[in-house]
Amino acid sequence: MLLILDILTTAGILFVVSIGLLAVFGVLKIINFAHGAWLTIGAYCAVVAAKLGLNPWAALPLAFVIGGALGGLAEHFIIRPLYRRPLDAILATWGLGIVIGQLITLGFGRDVQMTPNLFSGTVEVFGADYSAYRLVALGAAVVIGVAFALTIEGTRLGLSARAVIMNETLARGLGIDTARVRLFTFMIGAGLAALAGVLLTPLTSVDPNMGVSWLIGAFMLVMVADASFLALGVACLVFGAAQVLISTFVSPILGSIAIAVLAALVLRISPKGFSRA
Amino acid sequence: MLKRHFAGVAAALALAASPAFAADKPIVIGVPVGLSGANSVVAPSVVQSAELAVEEINAAGGVLGRQLKLEVADDASGAAGAQKAFDSLIYQKKVDVLISMETSAARNAGLPAVTKGKVPYIYTSFYEGRSCNKNMFVNAWVPEQQVPPVVDAFAKDKGAKTYFLIGSDYAFGRGMLAFTKSYIEKIGGKVVGEEYLPMDGSDWTAIISKLKDAKPDALITSTAGGAPNVTLTKQLRGAGVALPYANLAVDEGTAKSMGADAEGVYLSASYVTGIESPENKTFLAAMSKKFGAGLKTPNDLSVPQYEAIYLYKAAVEKAGGTETAKVLEALPTVSFTGPRGAISMSKQHHAPLTMYLGQVQGDGSVKVVGSFKDVDPGEQCPKLN
Repeated sequence: MLLILDILTTAGILFVVSIGLLAVFGVLKIINFAHGAWLTIGAYCAVVAAKLGLNPWAALPLAFVIGGALGGLAEHFIIRPLYRRPLDAILATWGLGIVIGQLITLGFGRDVQMTPNLFSGTVEVFGADYSAYRLVALGAAVVIGVAFALTIEGTRLGLSARAVIMNETLARGLGIDTARVRLFTFMIGAGLAALAGVLLTPLTSVDPNMGVSWLIGAFMLVMVADASFLALGVACLVFGAAQVLISTFVSPILGSIAIAVLAALVLRISPKGFSRA
Repeated sequence: MLKRHFAGVAAALALAASPAFAADKPIVIGVPVGLSGANSVVAPSVVQSAELAVEEINAAGGVLGRQLKLEVADDASGAAGAQKAFDSLIYQKKVDVLISMETSAARNAGLPAVTKGKVPYIYTSFYEGRSCNKNMFVNAWVPEQQVPPVVDAFAKDKGAKTYFLIGSDYAFGRGMLAFTKSYIEKIGGKVVGEEYLPMDGSDWTAIISKLKDAKPDALITSTAGGAPNVTLTKQLRGAGVALPYANLAVDEGTAKSMGADAEGVYLSASYVTGIESPENKTFLAAMSKKFGAGLKTPNDLSVPQYEAIYLYKAAVEKAGGTETAKVLEALPTVSFTGPRGAISMSKQHHAPLTMYLGQVQGDGSVKVVGSFKDVDPGEQCPKLN
């Protein structure tokens, strides 16, 4: 029973962490290697919110807004000239991630920062105590997933984004301002990454390099999901389950590379990953 | 020309007028330390305590009438940086001695230069043990000194029989827990689980579930410092783990910043700021007077640095000079009473130390709940005596 909860909550956390990367990859066709840096920015928004004496939950909207705004700046000045050069964009975003990490180090120091807990304590589930926050994180993943789906399916921006994903030249020919769609998508992706950063604070230490360890997993999941957010949900469940099961029954050291290895295997067998599922 | 001549005479007169200088040049102490990289958080406190020791000794007339001078070099917390730092200190700066707190990787990379350059080296960082070199002395703890106080306290006071061990997957983490396991088994306890995560791993979920399944009486962890330590502690708290819990990798500073998350955690150290001795109080007062608001809290890595400089002073005075062979002969025989008590590196180049068992309080401060006098370092270097 504990195992099922571990799998579900792990999948939820993976989903929260990778959804922002998926949004950017789907529409912009660019792999945003600065994603980890935006997770870190979000977590430091929680640090700042705590210093300002705000309610810990207020860090969530704050991080979404600040992450989105910084994402807008990055898109305008750094990403936009590189849409036709996706390989250079990888280098540029990788570099941007390093710069952001160093700026955070300059501003806040290298040490681990402490943030107030969003939610502490345990709840009893089927006779066992379980971390209440992990269940909250699972709930947050569901809420974010549903909100994302509604945005894609139900709004003008979502419609335009889907048009850009399917055929950008045609979309532009039909009068869709694709540059604006790209800008807003990048801002939303960056905002979601920062939001995920806040949601991670009760689970991990907050330091300038905290995003790096989550970046590779998120990257692998998005590669397998290939721009489909339903496929991302499936990938998170399957790989999250694999990670938990291998960690539990074989070795946590193998478990920590499970996502990378399985993603490589899946892409070898089916280049489109889970997106046809 | 004439002017320069006068200046020279004036300088010579000034030198002659100050007796402390005599005619001798200063004794140079090389401090290779991790100003950048993993140790950069703790290195400033190490340099500060070295500065205080040198200032105090110089103010009291120096060593055999000679002043002390520090040469600090960054070893970048790793092997490559340490080789450069040791080479430049030994061959360019011509230091008389090396005294420093460093990572194990940096220490091992620097030792060949120490042997070749024939300088004494006092290593002031706690480490995994059994690093032996005839030029090196260690005045900080090894696992044989840090672990037994914790396990003994759990076994006696909490009646713990079964233990679960969690660590980061690297030499220090595995070394500490391997010793912990053998010690637990020696005193009749049982290890019901031993789990590791890579140093950059951040998801302890499965390990925590295994811990809950195993239902041990006590938990002992030894992660890498900083991020993994904080991550594990947060996730343990989140999962509601309320076992007696000893963290072999936590120091006072980290405990303080973790605050309520670390409440109740036990730690074992040879120095905590709360030691009630006149030497410690004098030391803390002198530190805060010298550095004021810029003071880095003295800790289990910086205080041995302070004491090591005094131990070197005592050895030079006993040897009657800085000649390496004579200093090495004198080092194991001298003693200095500092903030941690009376320290002598008399046991196979290592030092018996008084260890303190501390428990983190709700406000992040560390309360001393027990002390263990002169814990022996065990057989570290049987070939050196």
